[in-house]
Amino acid sequence: MPLRPRRSRFVHGLTQNLGLWLAAGILLASLFSYVGIYYARQKLFPGNFELTTTVNNTMPLVLAAVAQTLVVLTRGIDLSVGGVLDITNAVAAIGLGDSVLSMVSCSILVLAIGAACGLLNGVLVAYGRLQPILVTLATLSIFQGIAIRVLPQPGGQVPERYTALLANPNGPWSLLYVALLLVLWWVLRRTRLGVSIYTIGNDEEAAAANGIAPRRTKLLAYAIAGMCSAAAGLFLAANATAGDANTGNGFTLTSIVAVVLGGVSLFGGRGSAAGAMMGAFVTTMIVNILFFAEIDPLYQSFYEGLFLLAAVLLAGGARRVLRR
Amino acid sequence: MRLSLDARRILYAALAAVLLFVIGAIVRPGFARPDSISAVLVVASFVGLVAAGQMFVILIGGIDLSVPWVLNGAAILLVTSSLGQDSRAWLGLGLTLGMGLLVGAVNGIGIAVFNVPAVVMTLAMNGIMQGLTLGFSNGMTCSACASYAPPVVQAAAHGSLLGIPAALWVWLVVAVLVSCVLSFTGFGRRTYAVGTNARASYLAGINVGAVTVALYALSGFFAALAGIMLVGFGGQAALGMGDPYLFQSIAAVVIGGVAILGGRGHYAGVVAGTISLVALVSVLLAMNMPNYGRSIIYGVIILALLLLYGREARET
Repeated sequence: MPLRPRRSRFVHGLTQNLGLWLAAGILLASLFSYVGIYYARQKLFPGNFELTTTVNNTMPLVLAAVAQTLVVLTRGIDLSVGGVLDITNAVAAIGLGDSVLSMVSCSILVLAIGAACGLLNGVLVAYGRLQPILVTLATLSIFQGIAIRVLPQPGGQVPERYTALLANPNGPWSLLYVALLLVLWWVLRRTRLGVSIYTIGNDEEAAAANGIAPRRTKLLAYAIAGMCSAAAGLFLAANATAGDANTGNGFTLTSIVAVVLGGVSLFGGRGSAAGAMMGAFVTTMIVNILFFAEIDPLYQSFYEGLFLLAAVLLAGGARRVLRR
Repeated sequence: MRLSLDARRILYAALAAVLLFVIGAIVRPGFARPDSISAVLVVASFVGLVAAGQMFVILIGGIDLSVPWVLNGAAILLVTSSLGQDSRAWLGLGLTLGMGLLVGAVNGIGIAVFNVPAVVMTLAMNGIMQGLTLGFSNGMTCSACASYAPPVVQAAAHGSLLGIPAALWVWLVVAVLVSCVLSFTGFGRRTYAVGTNARASYLAGINVGAVTVALYALSGFFAALAGIMLVGFGGQAALGMGDPYLFQSIAAVVIGGVAILGGRGHYAGVVAGTISLVALVSVLLAMNMPNYGRSIIYGVIILALLLLYGREARET
């Protein structure tokens, strides 16, 4: 049998991480169009203020996208992301006090709540042998109910120092958290758990046959995802400086959009959180572009939907061309 | 006698519905009176119509997330095109149902021809329809947007025939048609075949793409039909009226014993699932359960039902 000619190293590298490269390309393109349209309207370039608000507004979605990535990689989907954000956002708005001790203990409590929510999903998926989409649909309803019980009306108060820490309005300091997340992801990929997550996403039976525990892996993936969603709730509360038990709802769908734009395969086992984080920034960029392009806000979701489709079709086309 | 798996699932869903009416009658005397049962059923009929379309796509392992704004767009298109006049009702109905079919077919083409994952395709379509609906109606401020549904359509939702509400007759006709199509036609056989194993169906000579497009078109059609019935029931259209129907339709389909990965399930089960779901909400309302409690119990009961019979086979 004649061997296929080896592809050049460049093409090989490109196809191996195609999703990531496409996500980076889309992010760059959206950045350039944003800067271009901003300059055309304002006759100056976006500065510190624009960068800071963009970063601060995107941080919750960045974390929600990481959460969604973890679950999607195991060939699941987490519709309860929005519900966990609702609960944790509400608890943060009520619990955060002015003292350092209260900020630390409340943050830990919120992360623990997120992990517990994720654990519930994980137990039901892994040990209850239920479909992820159904489990998280049901727990979404439960989490939303709990969130409204915790904070019936929008309110609460987030201390200024806490906002300065997570969503500093004076500079894009939150980019440090993006860097931290990238490092953590780099580490996770090199741990046994990280490898297991990718493996069960590719072929669960083969993974089990090779000594990987699919149930334990799923449990941990969902629990860590819950914690990431909880962190998203903290950033959301810090940026809004108050809590609302309903603001998290939209994050279920936008986190899926970010993951898809970031080149993570919904069929599991392919993609990276780095791509999903880029996808999150692209999502914000699109809103910014539409704003400065003076598009009627009523048509906003029309263009967002169209853009999502275009990005997915483009990625599919590029994959087909390169794999030829 | 041992019933088949499918029959048992339909039976469970039906038993759940009966049980909920009994519980309802205990907490609120009069809950199980014929008129209040029929009121619950009328509300269920709207969910049931959406669930019919949702079932079609779930039978091939797909999902339709574009339901909310196809439904909402349909409701607004009907009132703005018919302007509340019976003479224009047929034009409005044709346009609206055609829109539903077309949007659904575009979903199907994206999924079958361009290999876009169903979740992404229908999610994007939901956004597109939301934008178009808001844009064209100028945020529901257009002069035609305040029109009422034509009297014919209102009668279809409010009238009654032989003592049974007209909305239930509509649902009954749909239920019989859907069940017959799935059980007794080649199209139905092909649907189950594609849902069980798309690759094997393709090799067996089934045009998988055409079946997929047709099923998504049907889902769009039923979402539009539900929009028409709802606007007939409520009189006027409103923004956001489709939102509750996405999760309810998926839950109803699953409680009705349709396998989320495709290939298994019947509309009889979905009807039973829809009724038990709506009966559950009505019981919780009758108990004066606050909003958050309803949301929590709703989730818990869906989980309990799933654990009861929605589990996958144990891997060996």
